[in-house]
Amino acid sequence: MPDLLEDVQLDVDHAEQTILGSPWVTIVWNDPVNLMSYVSYVFRSYFGFSQKEADRRMMQVHAEGRAVVATGPREEMERHVEAMHDFGLWATLQKADE
Amino acid sequence: MRAFRRKGSGYEASFAPEEARLIVQLTEQIGAMLAEPGAGDAAVLRLLPDAYPDDAEAAAEFRRFTAEGLADRKVLNGQTVAATLAGAAVATSATKVRLDEQQAQAWIRAVSDIRLTIATRLGIERDDDRPIPDEPLGDIYDWLAFVQDSLVVAMQGRL
Repeated sequence: MPDLLEDVQLDVDHAEQTILGSPWVTIVWNDPVNLMSYVSYVFRSYFGFSQKEADRRMMQVHAEGRAVVATGPREEMERHVEAMHDFGLWATLQKADE
Repeated sequence: MRAFRRKGSGYEASFAPEEARLIVQLTEQIGAMLAEPGAGDAAVLRLLPDAYPDDAEAAAEFRRFTAEGLADRKVLNGQTVAATLAGAAVATSATKVRLDEQQAQAWIRAVSDIRLTIATRLGIERDDDRPIPDEPLGDIYDWLAFVQDSLVVAMQGRL
């Protein structure tokens, strides 16, 4: 007897790949102006990260110059970038594999 | 100025009249700058940066669809800040300023925009760049960091 759940899951994966193509990422870049407390607050309040995860990504921005904060369809990443620009954060989007 | 702290369901700080007037003026200057952005103005480019770093065409397209809305919201945030400071700006002594959550959201964004604009004017481009000591704009830049941090810390308690 086939595992129905397994089959459904496979189809969903396939459909996502076909419709969405390769995913995009939202990147936040380091800047010398915005406060660490502010960047962490933005990551927590907007993306819903835990305090620990928000601090980790904020520190990654600070130390490495950039961090990926979201992955998904291009239109969704454009919305995130616009929201980051609302906050005054320097954000861009690009294909995940670039 | 007394820093922001949680008060009831909102936030409260105290500003001297000249401090309140200063922030109001800065929000007005940024509003004017965004109303007629000169192409290539470094401060405007920092407030409305390219969304696609390596694709000029996609960046222009994104700008075409989002820049006006972004600029409008930034102007509105500044107007919200100015409205909350209206009483303190005309007072004769330090005055309490109370914010609800929505006003606080406008405040943190507007203060970020003001500091980004000042940083562009002062040539602060790297993490170790500091304003020149005793430069008035630099003192304002640092003071606004204190103002924003106190509000952000108060807002964090509500997440």
